[in-house]
Amino acid sequence: MSKQSEKKEVSYAMVNDLVLRMLEPPGAGWWVLLLTCITLLSWGAVSFAYQLWAGYGMAGNAHPIGWGTYITNFVFWVGIAHSGTLISAVLYLFRAKFRMPIYRLAEAMTVFAVMTAGLFPLIHVGRPWMALWLMPYPNERALWPNFRSPLLWDVFAVSTYFTVSAVFFFVGLVPDIAAARDRAKTFFRKMLYGVASLGWTGNNTQWKHFIAAYLLFAGLATPLVVSVHSVVSWDFAMSIVPGWHATIFPPYFVAGAIFSGVAMVMTLIIPLRKVFKLEPLIREEHFDAMSKLILLTSSIVAYAYITEFYVAWYSNNMFERFQFWFRPFGEFAVAFWGMAFCNCIAPLALWYGPLRRNIAFLFVLSIIINIGMWLERFNIIFTSLAREYIPAAWGSYNFSWVEIGITFGAFGWFGMWMTLFIKFFPAVAITEIKEILPPPVRNKESLQGHH
Amino acid sequence: MRGSKAVVGVYSYLDDLLKGIADIRSADLDYKVYSPAYRHEIEEATLPGKSSVRRFTLTGGIIGCTFGWTLAILCSLDWPLRVSAKDIVSPPGFFVIGYECTILFGALATLGSLLLYCGLPNFLRKVGYDPRFSRDKFGLVVGCDGHNLEDVKGRLMKSGADEVNVTEGI
Repeated sequence: MSKQSEKKEVSYAMVNDLVLRMLEPPGAGWWVLLLTCITLLSWGAVSFAYQLWAGYGMAGNAHPIGWGTYITNFVFWVGIAHSGTLISAVLYLFRAKFRMPIYRLAEAMTVFAVMTAGLFPLIHVGRPWMALWLMPYPNERALWPNFRSPLLWDVFAVSTYFTVSAVFFFVGLVPDIAAARDRAKTFFRKMLYGVASLGWTGNNTQWKHFIAAYLLFAGLATPLVVSVHSVVSWDFAMSIVPGWHATIFPPYFVAGAIFSGVAMVMTLIIPLRKVFKLEPLIREEHFDAMSKLILLTSSIVAYAYITEFYVAWYSNNMFERFQFWFRPFGEFAVAFWGMAFCNCIAPLALWYGPLRRNIAFLFVLSIIINIGMWLERFNIIFTSLAREYIPAAWGSYNFSWVEIGITFGAFGWFGMWMTLFIKFFPAVAITEIKEILPPPVRNKESLQGHH
Repeated sequence: MRGSKAVVGVYSYLDDLLKGIADIRSADLDYKVYSPAYRHEIEEATLPGKSSVRRFTLTGGIIGCTFGWTLAILCSLDWPLRVSAKDIVSPPGFFVIGYECTILFGALATLGSLLLYCGLPNFLRKVGYDPRFSRDKFGLVVGCDGHNLEDVKGRLMKSGADEVNVTEGI
């Protein structure tokens, strides 16, 4: 059967049936996945509880590397969050149809990844119950936060990003939750979807304002894609630490974030597609398009890596030069070369067309890229702090079981929300897929005047 | 919707629905259309013109921008701590706060106006709604009184409705 004829066979009813079938009572595999995530989360929770009880010294953070694993994880998860908004908002504005079957999962990933990222500054500060001091509120100390600090910009940027992403995500879900409501059989599901759909009926007035609002949300979320990771990069670039103080950081971070986020979308969507038999909706051409996006952002990231080295050499600044010698040949060289392989070399395979449609290869590559992007953040943070200006202040890092536990716990936390989401809410956008399908018509010529 | 009864036409085809809408509009009857997805053809036939949601977005954005800048300036003046020889009121540093608040308030205003215009949440009043309208059928619900009931039913059947039902009360 040709691909063209496969497309023609997808009808409105079939889209509902395929997607809402995912919400049927779970099998053993889903429970195993959920329990695995909860186990990892428990490991993280126990580690964090121990850190709270025994003190912050239980984490590996110590002079000179005061920003260690937790900030690496924070930047990693914020980066993961980025492609969701790119796929849902930016590609919506560009009318890129390949986003339709994948954007819901990407949006969910965004919301849950920001929820994960937001934990790390709280864990990092050691006493998370005082985190509210970051917010500007009238207080008995008569103090206000420093609005000239990039760390405060980050508080505003990440909290805005989370709020707008969550609103955008929920608004897009409402019509699909209504479709789930109309098919729900159990009392619990009827109540859940009945309330969550807000009584949506899909009448002409609702659709008119919905589409207008959705476009505006996309327009509002698009600058966030650029701004949030730029602000995160300024946490580093506004300092004078060698290896951080660079104007290339914002575009470099944004490209890296999209790169890692698209890879994570693939990591999540490939098994989902297989388990729930979504091949008619999520086709090879969608993976081909995502692969091209990965190839583009990988090239930008590789270019940024090379530029950093060039600028360090051209600046004739001895501290910058030393830093960029230390990265590939110093104590953390393995992380550097791992990063270079995972982010620059491995994605080059995607220039070969058949590999962009080879699902097994893409799954492996997406995991390689995510490892590479974690290593990139490790390189930026650890190596720069380990070798600042004064040799007497140089140092190394000892990882502790506490931070390793919290790192894995974060994957458990993220995985738990994703696992629950795919079983309780439509993980593929029903109404938007219907929008790109030819509408059911008795006489095709009757609608020609509308196009 | 005006009238004491609702006549519900269930359609399988979009072009039939559009014919039904045109016929009902020509008779100057009150109606509502349900569809399983957004179709611009339906919007053009029923509610042409632009949504007013955008005005709320703009207003929210302007309020947010003003709020962000004002917050940063007033807080800095209230606790005038000079950092790295920067001015107490440092516009470049405050730009990020203003920018983020613009987007945040704009998005929240958009959400509020969306709920307002769509009449959400609304768990009770779903005149003529049928669960099939979220799957693959289109619905044309016409409000009428007893005297023109048969006329409306006839118009819907003639336009190609699969079935026509009557519900009491609107």
